[in-house]
Parts: sequence; C-alpha cells; structure tokens
Amino acid sequence: MPSPATTGPAPGSAATQSYFEDLEIGVVLETPGMTITEAHVGLFAGLVGERSADPFAVPDLLPLCLSSGLGWRTDTPPLVVLAFMGFEWRSHASVRVGDTIHARSHTAAKRAMREGGVVFEEREIVNHRGEVVQSCRITLLVARRPAS
Amino acid sequence: MLSSTLVSGPRILYFDDIQVGAEYESPGRTVTEADIVLFAGLSGDYNVLHTDAEHMKASIFGERIAHGLLVLSIQQGLLGRAMPECAGSSLIALKWKFRGPIKIGDTVRVRARVTAVREGDKPEWGVIAIERRVLNQRGEVVQEGETEHMIERRRA
Repeated sequence: MPSPATTGPAPGSAATQSYFEDLEIGVVLETPGMTITEAHVGLFAGLVGERSADPFAVPDLLPLCLSSGLGWRTDTPPLVVLAFMGFEWRSHASVRVGDTIHARSHTAAKRAMREGGVVFEEREIVNHRGEVVQSCRITLLVARRPAS
Repeated sequence: MLSSTLVSGPRILYFDDIQVGAEYESPGRTVTEADIVLFAGLSGDYNVLHTDAEHMKASIFGERIAHGLLVLSIQQGLLGRAMPECAGSSLIALKWKFRGPIKIGDTVRVRARVTAVREGDKPEWGVIAIERRVLNQRGEVVQEGETEHMIERRRA
C-alpha cells in the first residue's frame, strides 16, 4: 500500500478541499459530462500503447480514467486523496466515440485510520442515454481535516 | 523471460486456443514525466500527487508519482505486446490493488498468467481470467490484480 504523504494535504484553505470528516455516506455526486472523441481515443492509445482494430471503439479503461478527472469538477470541494489503494470494476456495455459519459458516485462506507481514513466509493459511469456502462467500487486513503 | 512463447508475425488467439497456466512477460517501459503530464491533461486528474513537484518534495514520496490508472493502462498496453491478439477481446471485470508508488524514471513490466477459462453467456464467446503483477526495476510488485476478458470462440 502506498504510504500517505505525511506532510498533509496540499496548500489551500479548508473550505476549498474536502476531508475524511466531510464525507457523508450515501450522498450522491454527479459530475459534468464529457463527450469521448477520436482525439481522446488516439491520445490514450498512443500514451498507453493499446491497439485496437476499430477506431471508434473506446478502450475499456479510458472511461474510468476520464471519470477520475470529472470527479474534480463537481460542486463539492475536491477530496484530499493521499493514496488510491485499489478498486473493483465491471463493464456493462461498450462505449463508442461520440458517446457522452458522466460519473455518479457516493461514499458507501468509511473507516478512520491512524493517519487519514479509508473511504469506499461506489461509482457508476453513465452514458447520454442514461445507461450505466461501467461501475466500480474504489478504495481511497483520504486525509483527515488538519487540526487548527 | 517468458515472452519467448511469442510467435513471430500476426497471430490471433481464439477462446478455444487459450490454456490455463499460459504465462506471459512483457517488455519493460520507463514511466516518464511526459507520460504523467499527458495523462493529467487527458484525464483531467491534476491531483498534486502527480503535478506539484514542490509540494511532493515535502511528502514521504519526495517527488511526484504516476497516476495509478496511468500505470494500470500502461501495463494493459505492455501485455498487448507480449501476448498474441485475442479475437474480439474486451475487458469485462477487474480487481486491482495499488501496492506502491511509481516515480518518474521507474521502469515497469507486467507478468501475467491465465488462471481460468469458462463458457460465456452466449455460445460465440468464452471468458478468461488473467492474474497480473506489475513489477518495477527492482522486482517489487507495485500493482497487481485480476482481469476478466470476453473472447470470441473459433467458428466451426
């Protein structure tokens, strides 16, 4: 398991970031959407070296990668994540170039640790027809609110 | 190296060709600063862990680390270079653990083993499970997990 950054969260006032204490079980967050383009697929394929015969097929892991960036763009201040510990993921339907995805997530459980806390997040990736195309359960190590 | 199992020239594996116990080892790939910057731009994940060198100097990592999902995606590409192409392959499930940080300049490779094969929901498909370990240049496991893939069956 990656160790946490013991120096604590990044600079920024407490109001601009969310901590372990701020997470409420079951509160649903929806991200803005992102239309997946040929440019996304080409960049991703070149970066990671994944080949595909079908240029309009979106690589299986790309929607998940995009959802992690979309998660920074909700109304809730970003969570101070110290380490991404692991996840379980399933694909339910294929994603094609031109599809617009967004993510819907909630905290399913959380557990305080000596440094920070472990958070279990359930995330669904939804397409523009409202179909859940991928889902995952993510385990994160999150910073506690610094004492001040 | 186990990649000696690789045959020269294009070859496509069907579900029926895949045996439990088959092992593959990929070439190495050095994770660069450019990889991390590109992935931050592509994914929109600008977490300070990956993008703020000054902040990370004071962390226990001492420097920026690669996104876990970047290295997961890189190992997927690496395995594709060690394994013959599988017909109509798509990833259907994944269980993954991030064991340690990957820093700029680290070289990763993946070792994979087919652990299960089973019938799919439809007669034209089968499902295989692959156990994977991502190693750094010191042989330490930095990520590991299991993937499930749907693969086309050979037509009679």
